[in-house]
Amino acid sequence: MNKRIMISLLSYGILIVCICFLPFFFPGPYHLHVLILTMMNIILASSLRLINLSGQLSLAHGGMMTIGAYTSTLLVMKLGFSSWLALLMAGFFPAVIACLVGFPFVRLKGIYFAIVTIFLGEMIVLTAGQWRSLTGGSSGIFNIPRPNPLVIPGIVNITFSSKVDFYYLAFVLMLISLLILYAVENSRIGLTLRGIQQTDSLAESVGINTAGFKVLAFTIGCFFPGLIGGFYSQYISAINPDTFGFLFTIYLLVYMTVGGAERFIGPILGAFILTIFPEVTRPLKAFVPFFFAAVLMVVIFFMPEGIAGLPERLHKAIRKLLEKKTNHA
Amino acid sequence: MLEIEGLTKFFGGLAALSGVDMRVKPGDILGLIGPNGAGKTTLFNLVTGFLRPTKGRVIFEGKDITGKKPHSIAAKAIVRTFQATNIFPDFTVLQNIVLSCHLVPKIGLLETVFHTPSSRRKDEDILQRSQAILELVGLDTMADVAALNLAHGHKRILGIAIALAAEPKLLLLDEPLSGMNAEEVSETMRLIDRLWQSGITILLIEHNMRAAMSLCQRIVVLNFGRKIAEGSPEEIKGNNEVIQAYLGAGEYAP
Repeated sequence: MNKRIMISLLSYGILIVCICFLPFFFPGPYHLHVLILTMMNIILASSLRLINLSGQLSLAHGGMMTIGAYTSTLLVMKLGFSSWLALLMAGFFPAVIACLVGFPFVRLKGIYFAIVTIFLGEMIVLTAGQWRSLTGGSSGIFNIPRPNPLVIPGIVNITFSSKVDFYYLAFVLMLISLLILYAVENSRIGLTLRGIQQTDSLAESVGINTAGFKVLAFTIGCFFPGLIGGFYSQYISAINPDTFGFLFTIYLLVYMTVGGAERFIGPILGAFILTIFPEVTRPLKAFVPFFFAAVLMVVIFFMPEGIAGLPERLHKAIRKLLEKKTNHA
Repeated sequence: MLEIEGLTKFFGGLAALSGVDMRVKPGDILGLIGPNGAGKTTLFNLVTGFLRPTKGRVIFEGKDITGKKPHSIAAKAIVRTFQATNIFPDFTVLQNIVLSCHLVPKIGLLETVFHTPSSRRKDEDILQRSQAILELVGLDTMADVAALNLAHGHKRILGIAIALAAEPKLLLLDEPLSGMNAEEVSETMRLIDRLWQSGITILLIEHNMRAAMSLCQRIVVLNFGRKIAEGSPEEIKGNNEVIQAYLGAGEYAP
């Protein structure tokens, strides 16, 4: 047992070191940009999955990112906040909104919950486009300042003037986010959420406040898109209302489903593969939506547990095959 | 312990329950019988907060709990079982119980996320309690089986075990014996009897008349949403109105 933990810790360590050294192999700004997008998508799809654990599908992620992006930008540009505090607020503000609207929303089940979250997301995007005095309307806000430099005299001086610095920032954000999401899922909260997903009236009957837990999942799940929205606005240094539209949210859903919503690794795999692959086949970029649709159909029909469920299915299939053979013999 | 006063529930124009009065004393084991559609499950749903009554009050240990949320009623130690969706199918038997030990001991949200020593101790507690419950109901050998794969009788027993995990003072069992074979029925009856002996007050809906008569001290009969009789099993057996409700009025008999 101890040995196994050692081995898994070691392999995670190696993976982390590898990711740290990636920029030396892919120093070009384009490659770095794709890697940063990948890490963003991993956080987003994973946080979508946390909401999914409680049996709800949220399609407000795009809207929550928009709130996060504007929160961070306005706090820095209009109120002179430190970019780091603003980044944190970019996560908290959408979480507070999710908590407030959550209580009426979770009275709706299944597809109806998903529909109201679509409306919420679209409402946020529309508000951002119309409230010109605050958000600059549909043309958005430009020249958003870069994050404040991180300076430890003599040792570290990160100025965020190059993409590499943002790469490491995204990496740190991804590590922290995944750690938090993993800890939540493997705590009693995760167990309770899964129970609610299976039979919520039974969970309620043993004293679990199912509405409260659903709101909790929705709130935590909306913190991360806000954070990433804030990060993205500082990284691109521009934001407009259409950056994170409905299609973007649907892509996140595709990442999660293709990767496999049942396992923690699922959305990570899905986001990784589906962000990198279209970039590899760059000349066919116009066909990406078709490609996504096709992949989604294949996965839904042939791999209901997604890519993450594939090894186990293969394992079972092979064992079955072997059993058949030994039975024949 | 539990007092029901004039409990009424309309579904549209249909009275599923009208003006039912009932009283459960501590240490009772009370049967609730009646033909299909008599309003038995509706009464359970009203008492446990899954439905709001149109009229009437539910009082538990002197406090009015009418219209409270199901989870806060469960927190007052009134726990019910269900006829159909009575387990968490994707969990193992043990996980079913561990999850259902939600009320005691309370674990804080941050405590559990950060896996503090105090939460670990409570987890250990819960695990022990869960195993004790499984031993009590006789599912301990199946702790690691996926609940989905249990035999029907064991699923029903797991449903009762889940309710026990919430530490009920008043346990409402909704047809615990339905769909069981003779052996499972007598085993489950013994279990219910043991639970009652251990001090849990029990309110029981049951279609298996022989089981209801032999388990319960008192029986309440509902028909078309009204209470038509209450008394000891012997009294109920001899009650004309009850016989009519079950067999139909003898209008065309000579």
